[in-house]
Amino acid sequence: MDLSLSSAQQLVQQSARAFLREHCPPERVQALALDPRGFAGDLWKEVATLGWPGLLIPAELGGGGGSVGEALVLLEELGRACCPSPFVASAVVATTTLLAAGGRRAHALLPKLALGERICALALLEEAGRLEPGAITMAVAAPGRVGGRKLLVADAHVATDVIVLGRGATGLTALLLPMDRPGIQARPLDSMTGEKLFELTFTDVEARADDVLGSAGGGLAVMEPALRLGALARSAEMVGAAQRVLELCVEHARVRVQGGRPIGSYQAVQHACADLFRDVESARWLAWEAAWALEAGRPDADVAIATAKAYCSEAALRVARRGHQVMGAIGYSEEHPLHLFHKRILAAGLDMGEPALHLETVARAIGLG
Amino acid sequence: MDFARSDSEQAFADEVRAFLRAHPPETFAEDGTDAGYGSGAHSHAFTRALGERGWLSLCWPREHGGQAKPMGHLLILLEELAAAGAPFGPVPGCLQVSDSIIRHGSETLQREILPQVARGEATFWQGYSEPDAGSDLLALKTHARLDGDHWVLDGRKIWSSHAGIATHGTVLARTDAASTRQRGLSMLMVDNRLPGMDIRPIRSLTGQVYHYEIFMDSVRVPREWIMGKPGEGFGQLLKGLDTDRFWGRSYKAPFLRRILGSLVEHVNAERPGDPVARRRLAQAATEIAALRALFHRAAWLIERGLPATGEVSAAKLMADELGQRVLSLGMELLGPYGVLRAGSPLARLRGEIEHQYQTSWGHTLAGGTSEIQRTTIAVRGLGLPAEPRPRG
Repeated sequence: MDLSLSSAQQLVQQSARAFLREHCPPERVQALALDPRGFAGDLWKEVATLGWPGLLIPAELGGGGGSVGEALVLLEELGRACCPSPFVASAVVATTTLLAAGGRRAHALLPKLALGERICALALLEEAGRLEPGAITMAVAAPGRVGGRKLLVADAHVATDVIVLGRGATGLTALLLPMDRPGIQARPLDSMTGEKLFELTFTDVEARADDVLGSAGGGLAVMEPALRLGALARSAEMVGAAQRVLELCVEHARVRVQGGRPIGSYQAVQHACADLFRDVESARWLAWEAAWALEAGRPDADVAIATAKAYCSEAALRVARRGHQVMGAIGYSEEHPLHLFHKRILAAGLDMGEPALHLETVARAIGLG
Repeated sequence: MDFARSDSEQAFADEVRAFLRAHPPETFAEDGTDAGYGSGAHSHAFTRALGERGWLSLCWPREHGGQAKPMGHLLILLEELAAAGAPFGPVPGCLQVSDSIIRHGSETLQREILPQVARGEATFWQGYSEPDAGSDLLALKTHARLDGDHWVLDGRKIWSSHAGIATHGTVLARTDAASTRQRGLSMLMVDNRLPGMDIRPIRSLTGQVYHYEIFMDSVRVPREWIMGKPGEGFGQLLKGLDTDRFWGRSYKAPFLRRILGSLVEHVNAERPGDPVARRRLAQAATEIAALRALFHRAAWLIERGLPATGEVSAAKLMADELGQRVLSLGMELLGPYGVLRAGSPLARLRGEIEHQYQTSWGHTLAGGTSEIQRTTIAVRGLGLPAEPRPRG
């Protein structure tokens, strides 16, 4: 067992922390959450110079050739800064899908994703709101025409490309479409989390044979491992956000004086902070254990990730909710960053499969019939 | 990061499993209650069998007859034993006391006691709490004075596990009559057979005896049966606290996983497809996995000699509160059958759930209450200011 960060991971951690402290302070996160466009394209350009969008893309396709472990360190830092970005959708899930699919289209797009010139969104959910094969019904045929709706698509306003998972004649099929393909329309939804979410409508959209990622009917084969990695990525992001809530609360408890002494010297507050610590630490090491299982190619990696995603969602939310009690009234105000972390955790917990979905994987793994 | 067992660890885990197959836990005579932490019932016979394998001295230095294995091996041993439901009740106490003898004990103690521990013959109780010194341990009144070649020990200890069926105990006593609070305390080793020792059982709410109260009336303890020098007792206690708390709960996650497995069996047989049971069991499985990860993190810190006080207290806290939740879920899933004891007609799951449910209510009190753990995490782990002590 070795639970230390590799030197490459340490480097990612240090540079990310320094960059985000300077370029993504809470005031900027707040401004982006309130801004209807809500996405700092210039921030994405800046991080592109650090190589983040292409971290998981091999060097021969213009990326950094980084490991999953490095990406997760970065995600913890993104969570810790509450940084809004299409990193999970574009640089983790879409990237991993494109790498799994291979082919001319994927190989043409990946170097541009790495440079931050293009951003790829994910169009997965439909009316049922569930990320499971049975809930995906939109008919796709390539070559052919595509019509229907995809819901709760993040960052469609800044995406240049979109991966659409639909149902073909032979099973789930993933298409890669440019957002400017005629017939694709994005209608903004209004979310409390600060994420920019859209309804995507496809009206008689042309699907070409070479839009298919992998094979027709092979949508799950190219997307399932990517979605698993996405669930792990969201877990790491939640751990980072919860870590920051813990830090904010401990700092507040040290300096806020009531009744003649810091509130952190009262047991009621001490004990709340202790619970935050327990939840953050247990979530962190469970997520890292899942990351190890994945990288080591363990046969139970899918269960480890489902376990981590379900647990991290619940533990990080507990941290956010309890954090409000420690922080007191100031944490209820819009200008205080606490609510941003709370909402980021909420959003991350729902993305890439909400806890109930992952608990079903766990239920089967522990032998429930 | 690498969570994998090393080749030698994996080989050792295989060896432990093979031992358990060859010596099924249920074939060993049990002589004391199962306290529910995961170390199973108290069995001298099983303890001796572990001694024969050299597993009671696994991590001791070679000069004390140990195998000098890294602590990861010990963690694997305890996890595997707990997963199998083996009756190794006295073993954690043996580990803690032998560790303390190796670190602080006189040559006499090391020469006389350690071989008995290694063979599984000596087992121990720990005498910390007193009737008026619980969470405020430093209010203890037990004292010892030097008289020639002996300490003369007087006082009362309470809530000492398995004391009546152990051979020895360690007693925290004031050896400097003029001292107060943490100064002037020493740890003495006592033999249960010494004149003046009166060890009385306390029947617990489970209906069984786990704890004892110890009355010490002018007990004459050999002078060299002191750990370290007089006055070092509290420092030793504090230094050993993290590891004691760690080892005392290190097998709780595999134990809870075993309990969860039997609840899954029950639900599959009695209420298949029940969506609420399904959801709650899956949720418990994620929490047990998180608990285990937290212990592995703490182990990694301890093995490297890094500060781990907050992590260990968090792990103990989570272990015991999660244990209560899992066993409460068990009682709920068994419904009206849950209250039937082992051996009763109609008892489900061998009557194990009701017993472990009852024991779980002691766990958040023993070894430092959950309140003490939370305060420890906050003050020593997170650096929050300590609550001011009232004067006087």
